[in-house]
Order: sequence, then structure tokens, then C-alpha cells
Amino acid sequence: MSNSQIIVGLEIGTSKVCVAVGEVSENQVVNIIGLGQAKSRGVRTGEIIDVALAEEDVRNAIVEAEQVADVEIRSVFLGVTGSHIRGFNNTGVHPVVSADREISTTDIQDVIKNAKAINLPTDHSVVHSIRQHFRVDGQDGVQNPEGMLGAKIEVDVHVVSGRYNRLQNPIRLVSGLHLEVENISSSALASSLAILSMEQKELGTLVIDLGAGVTEYAVYSSGVIKHTGVLAIGGDHVSNDLAYGLKVPLARAEQLKIDHGSAVIDLEAGDREIDLSDDSLIPGRQVNLGHMQKIMSMRLQETFELIARDIGQAGLIEYLRAGVVICGGGARIPHITRLARDVFNLPVAIGRASSVSGIKNALDEPEFATPVGLIKFGVFQSLANPRRAGFGRVIRRQVAALFGR
Amino acid sequence: MKNSTEPTPKANPVIRLLGLGEAGVKLVETLAMIGPGGIETYSLDTDNRSLARCHQSQTFLLGQAIPCGLGTGGDSALARAAVESDSEHLAGIVRGADLVFIVAGMGGGTGTGAASFLANLAKEAGALVVGVAATPFDCEGIRRCNEATGGVRDLKQVADAVFHFPNQDVVLMEGANVSLHEALEIANRHLCEAVLGVSRMLLESGMLNVSFGDLQAALRGRHSLASVVYVDASGDDRAAAAVRKLLTHPAARGGEALQEASTLLVHLSGEEMTMAEIDAVTGAIGSHATTTNLVVGASGPGRDGAGLQLTVVIAHAAKLGELGQEQVKAHPDPTGQASGLGFSGSFSVLDTGSYFDLGKDTGDTSRGGFAYTPPAPTADALTPECREDLIRVAAKEEPNRKKRQKIVQEMLPLEIVSKGRFEKSEPTIHQGEDLDQPTYIRRGAVLN
Repeated sequence: MSNSQIIVGLEIGTSKVCVAVGEVSENQVVNIIGLGQAKSRGVRTGEIIDVALAEEDVRNAIVEAEQVADVEIRSVFLGVTGSHIRGFNNTGVHPVVSADREISTTDIQDVIKNAKAINLPTDHSVVHSIRQHFRVDGQDGVQNPEGMLGAKIEVDVHVVSGRYNRLQNPIRLVSGLHLEVENISSSALASSLAILSMEQKELGTLVIDLGAGVTEYAVYSSGVIKHTGVLAIGGDHVSNDLAYGLKVPLARAEQLKIDHGSAVIDLEAGDREIDLSDDSLIPGRQVNLGHMQKIMSMRLQETFELIARDIGQAGLIEYLRAGVVICGGGARIPHITRLARDVFNLPVAIGRASSVSGIKNALDEPEFATPVGLIKFGVFQSLANPRRAGFGRVIRRQVAALFGR
Repeated sequence: MKNSTEPTPKANPVIRLLGLGEAGVKLVETLAMIGPGGIETYSLDTDNRSLARCHQSQTFLLGQAIPCGLGTGGDSALARAAVESDSEHLAGIVRGADLVFIVAGMGGGTGTGAASFLANLAKEAGALVVGVAATPFDCEGIRRCNEATGGVRDLKQVADAVFHFPNQDVVLMEGANVSLHEALEIANRHLCEAVLGVSRMLLESGMLNVSFGDLQAALRGRHSLASVVYVDASGDDRAAAAVRKLLTHPAARGGEALQEASTLLVHLSGEEMTMAEIDAVTGAIGSHATTTNLVVGASGPGRDGAGLQLTVVIAHAAKLGELGQEQVKAHPDPTGQASGLGFSGSFSVLDTGSYFDLGKDTGDTSRGGFAYTPPAPTADALTPECREDLIRVAAKEEPNRKKRQKIVQEMLPLEIVSKGRFEKSEPTIHQGEDLDQPTYIRRGAVLN
């Protein structure tokens, strides 16, 4: 226990706040030891609309996770999302100036620096800039050019950016609970980290996280992230459509969706009526199952089509040889894979968190992909910048916090 | 469908241009001067003075018996009475036409009151009827704007399509510092260009033809507002410049209107047009109008020689929500509406009724702010001849009541699409579609 490190992933989602506690052993094996959940009330389409409610929900979830894992949570890796988040690719170029044309570490650092120098609007800030492949004199797909000979070195980075103020809202909220935010990650990236295997990333996979408020997607190909996107459409929209179309209250629509929902229209469903008289004010109130499935199916199909169009425009649809993986709460909709298969014409699977061990519950459920992925993100981060939580660091951090406010 | 007297096939469609009221007459006169051949122009007004200025077009004084050539003074009901008393002659004017443009400035008397009646006559004669309506500047007063909106709506219910040109758009386009003279000139130019563009599209034999059939398919029976955007550009980069001008045109609303249109008729003319230029223009339009039916035509050098002239007809399918939106736009100031003390002025136009139509269901179900019908004309306000006239026409109209009721009823937005829990959050707009609205409604799926 003494040599293991605790990493916590926190996702403030639209339907639930979820905390996953991971224990990372010395040989970097992640073990999920605790989960905390709370129903989210202060978030809409992935962004906080009521700070007080959201804070209470986050606190509840953290407390639950602390009790289950029996640890004290001091810092978290936070998932951020929202319609303001954009992903795009940028290229950096650097000429190799040394006499022998050998590419040195400084050249590599310089080219990465060039690629990360992006002109963003003043109110935007970078969430991630993820290195893809190097190109040396036009030779593509170089993973590490150090020591190679060349005149020009280029690198592609995938940049995820968002509006600064809207990114700061969840960070401030978590800081207000006296928790440190170690780093933020876009939820799409986190989910894909949790559920994709190395082979899937290499072959090319589209990950779709169907959340309650937003739908996020990420495309991997040749082992690197190629494209990310956020659509501000989610399960809430499905419920809202149902409430509107079937003329039932929103809460009842939500329940109907969970009990009888389907992503495809079942031919026999047109004749079936669902009795709502148990909780409806009007006795004998019925809704037609066919209508319900039609409303749901059209919304989900449209969501997939929007993603397909975006990926098609990015020219990546041909690269998805390992198909599509769906996670998030929307992955629980019956026949969702069939609908996705029809839209994308690709094999579709439900994503499960692989390559982590621990509480069975956390790994089997597609909706925990993001918090589990945040833990993996945290592991990579701590591998990249190892810092030991010594006494001096704690003091330093507190001093910084005092003056940083 | 067509009551044309000569059944022989025609080389070109017969296009007639009818100017109504002072503004309409002026425009028609201008068009008659510069327009391409093959268009027959007529100026119709209740005011002798305005007709006296016409030299190019055939003139006809409306309502010789009632306003006696003195104008209506902004009374649209009087204009209606005048035009109805002359319906036989007017029916003669529109007979045999394939396409009738009715050009009118809305907000005054003659244009507002008579346009829909004239449109109906043309419609009954079997023509495709396109109204070209200019509406006043906002600064001309709420009353006049309301009258204009009522006039446009009445015209829209009868005509196949109405090209609507709000003068206020000029202010939006040119900035508030434009002089009145310039503003009017620009507004008139837009209107003229629209009519010319459409007629050129139909009459000039091109390499790629946009035919009368295309226009008819796009507009016939739509009863909606359409718009025409005419732009020209010259120089090396003329295709890109034309596209830029098109997208910045207020009627295109930055490309949004293109996306919402049901059909786009695109016509290009210019000297030595290259395929690349045609491609650039249609490609740019196509990228804004992904789901729209696009008809492309091209012809040789137009009247300006070197430049590239681009005419785009944006036709909409009649929409449920349209009426609602329009009314919001039309009554920018609800207090002004409520305090409308000049009832007879403000709201007489909302009722298509003229003196002849009083007490009789005209099929016009459009609702104004109040269920208000103008008072019946007092007997002593009319001259004996007028009264006789009124009675005679009213008696003649009586058996036709059924026929008049055939006017297509405009649908009210009975179902107001609410966004439920997303009502107050930031809308999710994707390519002009509000994704917060249920998909099945946007795609028109029917739950039965």
C-alpha cells in the first residue's frame, strides 16, 4: 500500500456525478478500489448551470467514493465537456540546422513547440495538445525521429480547446471543495483511454460516448488520436422528444425510455400500447410503443448521422477498420449497436473498460468509461511528469494556493 | 389550366408586368425603359397624375367612378372597390399571360388594397402569379408597416409567390448613414433587378436553360414569400466576388435562407464564363443548401458585358411557422398595436374585405390583432353613381360566393414546437437546424 499511488477520476456529468478511485501499483497496474455516484442536478448539456447544486452533488459522490475506497481524496483528474470544446489538428515545422543533419532532442522539442503555438481566440484555452506522428523530409509515420538524418522535421498535434471561462467553472467548483485538480481531460479522450485496446487504436476506431447532455466522439487511427468532437445532444434530448411527442411529463418520459426504449423500430411495436395508468393522473392513459420507438430512433439516428458526416468531412471514415465502440449511458439503449451499424456500415461494439482491474461493477458498465479513463489519464500524466507527494510539495502547493487566489 | 385564346405553342412565355399604385407604376415605368423585350408592361393606378407620367407602359386608370382619378389617399378599401369595379377590363389585361408580375408598394392605398384582387384575377386566368412587394422603412410608422404587412399577406394568399423587398433591408445593408434618395434608389434597383433577373432567366436562350417550367414547379401554389437575389461582379475574381455578394445580401441572411429554401433557381450570365466559375458559384451555393433542390442555368453575355451576373430565386415551401414569425416581425411594438386608435386605418387591411365584401366570408382567415371589420360606408358619403355601382357589382358578385371561397386557407401554427427543458439553454444550432427541437418534427414524421 505504501508504494501505491491513489488516482481519482471525477466526471461531473449531466445525469450523474461519478468518482472513481484507482490504486496504481508500482508496476503501473491500475486497480479500481472505489466508486462514488450522485444524481446530478446542476448540470445541463455537460455544463454547470447551478453551482450550489452541482457542488453538493460532487461532495456527495466524493464522500461515497472515500467511504468505499477507504482513502482520503485530495486531488482529482477532472473530465471536462461541453459544446464549446473543439478538436483540430495542427502541424509544426522545424528545419534541422545542425551540420551533420542529425535530428537531436532539441530539434524534437522545437518542432513540438512550433506545433503547439496555435492562434486561438483570446477567450479560448488549450485543454490538450496530443502529439501524433513525426514526418522527416516527407517520410510519414515516424514515431521517434531522434538520431535520424533529415533536413526538415514536421509533427502533427491534435489540439483540444475550449472557452477559458467555461472550462474554469468545474475547476473552480472542485477547488471550492478543497480538492486539487491535478489536470483536466476532455471526456471523449478519457473514455477512449478506458475502453480501447492498443490494437483498436492501431487499426482505427471511433469511440462514441452517448451521455445524457452531450455526445462526444474521438477517432483513433495508427495508434494516435486523429479527431475529436462534441455534439450538444444526448439522452436528455431523447427524453425531451419523448415528453413532447407522447405528451407525458419529462420524468415519466425518462422512465419510459429506460423501461421500453429501443434504438430501432420494432415492426410489432406499432400495435402495442403501454399503459401509464399506474402513475398518471388520467386513468387509462396509454402511449403507443411504435411512436415512442420512432421518436427515439429518429433522434439517435440523427445523432449518429451528424457524427458520421463530421468524420466523413475529416476524411477518416475509411480508416475505421476496427469499427465503432459505443459507451456512456446511451450504450444501454437496446439495439443501439444495430442502429449504429446501419448508419456507419461498420462493426459496432459496446465499450467496456479493459486493462484495469478492480470492482467488477465499474468495469462492466459503459457509463463508467469516463471516470475510469480519467484514472488512466492520470497514470499517463504521472508517468510523464513524475512527482512524489513529499512533505515539501504539500507545503509548496498550499503556499501557492494562498497566493494564487 | 390556361384560358389562353390561342392554343398554339409559344416560343417564349408571355410575361406581363403590372404596376399598381404610385410606387408600382414608377417601377414598371423604369423596367419598361431598361427591360429586355418580350415583357408587356401595364401601369394601373387610381391617381391620374401618376399615370400621366408614364410613357413606356400602357396605362389604365382604376376606379373611374369612385375615386375619380384622384387617388385613394391611403384608403385600401377604397382601392379595392375601385379595382373591383374595373374587374372586367383587368381580366382582359391578364388573359393569356403565362407569368404575371404584380409590382406594388405596400403600405399605401392602391397597392395594398388592389394587389390581392388583381392577383386573384390573374390566377383565375391561369397565369403563374408572382407578387413583387416593397414594404416601407420602419421610420414610416407602425401604422403604415402594419398595413404593408397586411397587404403582403393578402397578396401571398392569392399569388403563387411573393418576392418581398423590405426597404428596411437597404438600411441594414448600407448602414444608417445612407441618404434617403440613395436608399430609395437602391431599394428600387433591387426590385428591378429581381424582375429583370427572373425575366432574363426565362427569356434569354441560354446554354443551360432555366425554363418557365422550372419556375412554375418552384413557385406554383406555394403561397409563400420567396426572394430573388441579383448580384453582379466583374474582374478576375468575379465568381468569388459574386458568391460573397450573394451571401452578404440581406435576403440570403448569410446563407441561412439558402439552407431553408425548398428550391433554388440559379442563373448565371456573363461573357466567356468558364466551367471553373460556374463550378465555384454552384459549389458555394450547394454547400449552403445541402438539402435544397438546385436548378442551374447559364447563358451568354448579359447586358453589362464583361461582368458576371448571378440571379438566385429562393423559393420556400409554405411553412407552418411562417405566419407566426411574420407577425412578430410585423408588429415590432406591441404597445403601438394596442394603442392603435386609428382602427379603421390600421386594421382595415387585415380584412381583405372591400366595401363589396362586407358581411361576406371571403375565405380570408388570417387573423390580425383584433377581430375588427371596418365600418360599412355611410350612405351619404357616396355619390349616387357610386352607390349604384356598388349595388350592381355586389349583386353580380353574389352568385360567385362559392368560387371566391376557394382561396387557399393559410395554416396557423397550431402546434408551437416547444423545446421543453432546453427552452432556456443555449440553442444547439447545426447547419441552420435547431437540434433541440425533436428530430421527428424537424423531419416531418407523422405519428398517427
